[in-house]
Amino acid sequence: MACRLGTIAGKELPEAMAGVTSFPTTARVERPVRATAESPVIRAVLISVVFVFFTLFLLLPLFVVFKEAFSQGVAAFLAVFRDDATASAVRLTLLTAVIAVPLNTIFGIAAAWNLTRFHFPGRSFLITLIDLPLWVSPVIGGLIYVLVFGANGWFGAWFIDHDLPIIFNTPAIVLVTMFVTFPFVARGLIPLMQAQGTKEEEAALSLGANGWQIFWRVTLPKIKWGLIYGVILCNARAMGEFGAVSVVSGHIRGKTNTMPLHIEVLYNDYQYSAAFAVASVLCILALLTLIIKTYAEWRAEQQLAEAARHTDLSHKP
Amino acid sequence: MKHRFTLPGFGLTLGYTLVYLALVVLVPLSALILKTESGGWAHFWQTVSSPRVLASYRVSFGISLIAALVNGGFGLIAAWVLVRYRFPGRRILDAIVDLPFALPTAVAGIALTTLYSPNEWIGRLLAYDQPLGMWLSPHSPIGAWLATQHWAKEYLGPMGLRIDFTQLGVLIALTFIGFPFVVRTIQPVIQDLALDVEEAAACLGATRFQTFRRVILPGLLPAIFTGVTLAYGRAVAEYGSIVFISGNLPFKTEITPLLIISKLENYDYTGAAALGFIMLLASFVILLVSNGLQAWDNRRKGVA
Amino acid sequence: MSIEVRDITKKFSRYPALDRVSLKVETGELIALLGPSGSGKTTLLRTIAGLEFPDDNEGRVLFDGNDVTALSAYKRHAGFVFQHYALFSHMDVFENVAFGLRVIRGGKRPPKAAIEKRVLELLDAVQLSGYGKRLPGQLSGGQRQRVAFARALAVEPQVLLLDEPFGALDAKVRKELRRWLREFRDRVKLTTIFVTHDQDEAFEVADRVVLIDKGKIQQIGSPAEVKKAPANVFVAEFLDLEWPGGSSAPQSSPALPLSA
Repeated sequence: MACRLGTIAGKELPEAMAGVTSFPTTARVERPVRATAESPVIRAVLISVVFVFFTLFLLLPLFVVFKEAFSQGVAAFLAVFRDDATASAVRLTLLTAVIAVPLNTIFGIAAAWNLTRFHFPGRSFLITLIDLPLWVSPVIGGLIYVLVFGANGWFGAWFIDHDLPIIFNTPAIVLVTMFVTFPFVARGLIPLMQAQGTKEEEAALSLGANGWQIFWRVTLPKIKWGLIYGVILCNARAMGEFGAVSVVSGHIRGKTNTMPLHIEVLYNDYQYSAAFAVASVLCILALLTLIIKTYAEWRAEQQLAEAARHTDLSHKP
Repeated sequence: MKHRFTLPGFGLTLGYTLVYLALVVLVPLSALILKTESGGWAHFWQTVSSPRVLASYRVSFGISLIAALVNGGFGLIAAWVLVRYRFPGRRILDAIVDLPFALPTAVAGIALTTLYSPNEWIGRLLAYDQPLGMWLSPHSPIGAWLATQHWAKEYLGPMGLRIDFTQLGVLIALTFIGFPFVVRTIQPVIQDLALDVEEAAACLGATRFQTFRRVILPGLLPAIFTGVTLAYGRAVAEYGSIVFISGNLPFKTEITPLLIISKLENYDYTGAAALGFIMLLASFVILLVSNGLQAWDNRRKGVA
Repeated sequence: MSIEVRDITKKFSRYPALDRVSLKVETGELIALLGPSGSGKTTLLRTIAGLEFPDDNEGRVLFDGNDVTALSAYKRHAGFVFQHYALFSHMDVFENVAFGLRVIRGGKRPPKAAIEKRVLELLDAVQLSGYGKRLPGQLSGGQRQRVAFARALAVEPQVLLLDEPFGALDAKVRKELRRWLREFRDRVKLTTIFVTHDQDEAFEVADRVVLIDKGKIQQIGSPAEVKKAPANVFVAEFLDLEWPGGSSAPQSSPALPLSA
C-alpha cells in the first residue's frame, strides 16, 4: 500500500502560530471562545434581537390587552361582566366548552389508543385526517356546517321543519367548536403514547387485566400530564374560537354570541375598554394554558430522567 | 380465530374514531365539495377568478408567504438562542413562544389593531410630530418623495404613518400568528445536534461562521422549511387576528376568508362554497408539501 | 512538533478532572493516555486540542515551545479523531475529507484540482478509494472512522489527537484498524496522542504510555518499563500486575521505578 501523503513531518509552522512568542508565565491569559459557541459579541446581538422581537410581537399585545381593560378603572372593569349581554356571552362560551371539550377528550383518547397501540393499513391516513382542522381555515369550518344544516343545506330543512334550529343557534356553535378543536387532545397524546411504547400495557395484559383496567391503571397515570395539557389547550381554543363561530352564529346580542363574538361587537361599538375587559379574561386563560404547558413539560422531563436512572443502575457515574 | 392485535379495544376505539371523524369532519366536508359541483363549472370559474377575489388571493397567499419567511428568519434565531444560550428570562421567553397559539384570535386581533392604530401605543410613535415620524412626514424631503410613490400612499395617514388598515399591518399580524410553528419545529432539531461534529469542524480549521454555514445550517434546513410551511398554512387560514387590523379594504387588505363570509351573508352559497373549495385545495397542497418535505429529509440522511 | 502541557488544572464539578498535570511529548512519538473512565485522559486531550481550556492562569499548552493556551481550537491546527466519528452526515465521503481544505481562508486555499488530488490520495491511504460519493450513513463503523482519519490528515496537522478512536467498533474491526495505524506510523512519524482505556491497545501501538487516574498522572514510561516496574498500586491493579509489598506501598504518585 503506497502512501504518498506529501511532506508532513518537517513542514514549517502554520501561519497562525508564527506570530506567537512565549509569554512570561505570569501574564494574564485571555479566555478564548469555545469551539461550539459563538463569540460573546454575536451572542449579545442575537439575544438582543430575540428580546426586541419578543417584546414587540408577543409581549406588547399582552400589555395592551390588560392596560386597555383597566383603563377606565377596576369598577368599570367589573361592571362589564354584570351587563346582561356579556353575562350571556360568558354563559354560552362556557356551555360550548363544557360540551365540546369532554367529547373531544374522549375522542382524543380513543383515537390515540387506536392509532398508537395497533398497526393497520390506513393508520397514517387517519393520523393526517385528524390534523385536518388545523390546516383548514376556521371560516371553512363554519361554512361546511352551514352547508349541511343551513336552510338550504342538506339536512337543514328537516331540522327546521321539526323546530330544531341548528344553524345560527347554539347547537351549530357547539358543533363547529367541536370541529375546530377536536385534534388537540389527540395530538397531545399520540406522540406521547407512541414514545412510551406498549410494554407496560402488555405486561398488565399478561397478568390478566382487561381493557378498561389496563387503561385506567397503567396508561392513564403515564399520560396524565400530556392529557391535562391537551384538555387545557382544547378548552382554550374552544372558548376562544372566533372565525368558525362567526359564520354560524346569528350574531344576536344576548342570545347567540360567544365571548369572542361579543368582543367584536363591543369593539365595533367603540366600547374599547369593555371589549378588552372581556378579552383579558380569555387572555388569562391563555396564560394559564402556557403555565400548565411549561409545568407539564418540566414534569415529563423529570419522569424521563427518572426512567433513565432506573434502567441504568449498572452505569458507573 | 386469528388474533391480530395483542391489546384489547381495537374494535371499540376504531369504531368510535371513525364515526366521530365521519360525522364531524367528512360529512360536512363532502357537503362543501358537492355544493361546489352543483353550481356548475362556469359559475365556479367566474367566482374564483373575479378581480376582487384575485386581489384577496394576493393578500391571503402572498402576504402569508412573506410572513412565513420572516418567521423563518426570526424563528431560527429565536430557536437557536433559546436552546443554546443561558440568560435570565430564558424560560419565560420559551413559554411565551406559544402565546399566539393559545391566545384567541379575536383577542390578538383587537390587541394588534389597538397597538398600531394612530394615537395609540406604536401608532403614536409614528405620528408626524414625534421624533420617529418626523423623518417621514410630508414636510420632510423623504416624506415628500414617499408621497409621490404609489405603493407608499397607504402608509401616509393624515396625522402620522399608518400601519393599521395597511398590508404591513396584515403582515405583522400574520407574523405573530405563525411564529410558534417555526420555533417549535426547529427547536428539537437544534437540541439533537451532535456537538462533536461542530468540534470536528473547529479542529479542521473552520471559523464559527464557516461551521454554521457548512455544517449546522444544512442540518437545520429541513426543519426550517417544514416550520415555514406550517407557518404558511396557518397564515393562509387565519381569520380572526387579521380582520380587525386589516380594515378589510377591497383590493387592498381583504382576505379570502372574509369574502367567503360576505358571500354567505348575501346568501350566495354556491359562491361561498366555490371559494371554500379553493381554500381547501390550497390547504391540502400545503399539507402535501409539508409531508413531502419530511419524506425528503428522511431520504437525504442516507440509509442508516 | 513537540507538545508540552504544564500545570493544567480543570474542574467540572467539585472534583478536578485534571489536577496540575504536566507532560511532555517529543516530536514524532505516539504516547497513549491510559486510564479508567473519569480519569481525566479525554479532558487532557481536549485541552491540548483547544476544545477545553485550563481553569486558572497557571496552565499552559505549548506546541514546539510556543504558548498556544490562548488560541481557539480552529487556530491550533491539531488533527482530532472522535470516538463516534463526528462525520458530517449530509456531505459525502469526498466532501468530508476535503472539508478542512475547503475552509482555508484568504489566499491560502489550494486550487480545486490540488484539493481533489489530495483527497483521493488520502482515501487511497485509508483503503477507501471509490467510496467518495457515499454518505456516512451508508458506511460501516470501521469505514467511518477511516474517513475521519483521512479528514483529520487532509490539512497536514503537526499533531494527531485520537479520542478512543476504536472504542465504538467491534473487536475484529478494532484489531484491523490498530494494525492499520501501526503501518501508518511506520511510514509517517506524526506526533500522536492516543486516549484509551484498553491497555492491550495502548501497549501495542504506543512508544510511551502515560497512566492517569483521578486527574493525576500515575506513571510514564515505555510499555516494557511500565510492565516491569509499576509505580504504585493503581498502576499494578489497572494493568493486572503483581504488586510486591503490603500496606506500606505508595497508593498513587509519580514515583521512581522500583525493582520488581
